[in-house]
Amino acid sequence: MAATDADLGAPDELSEREREAVEAQLFRLADDEYVQAERYTFWQVRAPTLESDLAVANNAQDELGHARLWYDAIQQLGYSEESLLWESEPDDFQHSTLVELPFSEGDWGDAILRGYLYDVAEEIRLAALEESSYEAIRNRTSRIQGEEDYHVEHAQNWLRRMADDEEASRRVQAALDRLYPYALTLFEPVGEVHGDGDDAVAGVEDDIVDLGIRDATLDEMRAEWAERTTAFLTDLGFEVPEDAEPVTPTGRDNEHTEHWHDLHEEMVSSYRNLGRHEATTLMDDE
Amino acid sequence: MSSEPDGPEEFDRPRADPDAGPCGYTEYETKERTTEEVPATGEGAEGLEREVWAALYEVEDPEMPVSVVDLGLIYGLELDDGEATIDMTLTYSGCPARELILDDVAEAAESVDGVDEAEVRLVWAPDWSLDLVTEQGKEALREFGISVER
Repeated sequence: MAATDADLGAPDELSEREREAVEAQLFRLADDEYVQAERYTFWQVRAPTLESDLAVANNAQDELGHARLWYDAIQQLGYSEESLLWESEPDDFQHSTLVELPFSEGDWGDAILRGYLYDVAEEIRLAALEESSYEAIRNRTSRIQGEEDYHVEHAQNWLRRMADDEEASRRVQAALDRLYPYALTLFEPVGEVHGDGDDAVAGVEDDIVDLGIRDATLDEMRAEWAERTTAFLTDLGFEVPEDAEPVTPTGRDNEHTEHWHDLHEEMVSSYRNLGRHEATTLMDDE
Repeated sequence: MSSEPDGPEEFDRPRADPDAGPCGYTEYETKERTTEEVPATGEGAEGLEREVWAALYEVEDPEMPVSVVDLGLIYGLELDDGEATIDMTLTYSGCPARELILDDVAEAAESVDGVDEAEVRLVWAPDWSLDLVTEQGKEALREFGISVER
């Protein structure tokens, strides 16, 4: 913990080192939310009941709103919507590979468990950003936290119900075994890693904490996440994998599974096929 | 048997809870605010500024017949030599009507004689919640059929 009370100032006042650290924090925030939202939409008209369909659609809308807030903050640093999304390449993105995996048809247990693992991590991360030294991060946190509360509650309610059913718990357990190593990538570093083994250091991750952009290290956040999720899931009778390691690619290293390449292609295909050179909106005057 | 009720009026029925609020299942989440710096409502404004506020009051939320000023969405208005700068927020980060509302507000300000250009800046802090809605706004919401704490 090396939080500082210093304020880094406006986007154009950042030193190169500060800017690099701010961007490293912002990109994973935006990309995680964006891709999580994109995958949620798979469940529209496919969720088990109308109520659950609406709930997941609402979660997707929340996450898209949050992605937009974070991308807005990134745009203040000089990036355009076109370069960030529509004219991007798959390896421009730094989201965790957890959020890019497709769902098997009907595997509702996967969707709920994934949401749970992700949203607890999201809560912990937002709490560590509340006092951020970068105003555009600090300012957005409270609004987003207010809308995230419901997500964890929603997932927990479903997990409690599924734990009471044999077939449903078998599916949740299978999803837990499969997804856990992917969930661990949420706490992997971005940027270049120097050295290896226990001596490995990712320069920009240290800067994020040293500059007070976030007041908890990745290790601290992972420990808190593991404690919370393990306590809850164990209590419901699930077995949390022990000694699991994050899978590679992690996503944070700009490398992704083939599933992201397919999804990314789908996301940018309209823009490309229509020969667009700039983003458009529904209310466009032109 | 004489203890049997004679007519329908004799049967027990569920009764309304006399202490019930507008909706028994609603949690009213509001913020404890340390300062009252937001929202801005044009109170005490004069001259051109007052005219701009009057125009802003005319802008309705696209989904409800309530003024965006009464919803507490306007955080600030500054006038400088024919240029209006408006800070405003939205009730929800994923608001699908975002561009529509921002455009309406800018257009309303620019409709005032003496304002050449309006810039609307979207801000997210302080966080908006129901406590920022004005009394007139709460009344309009109730009339529309939305349960709002008194």
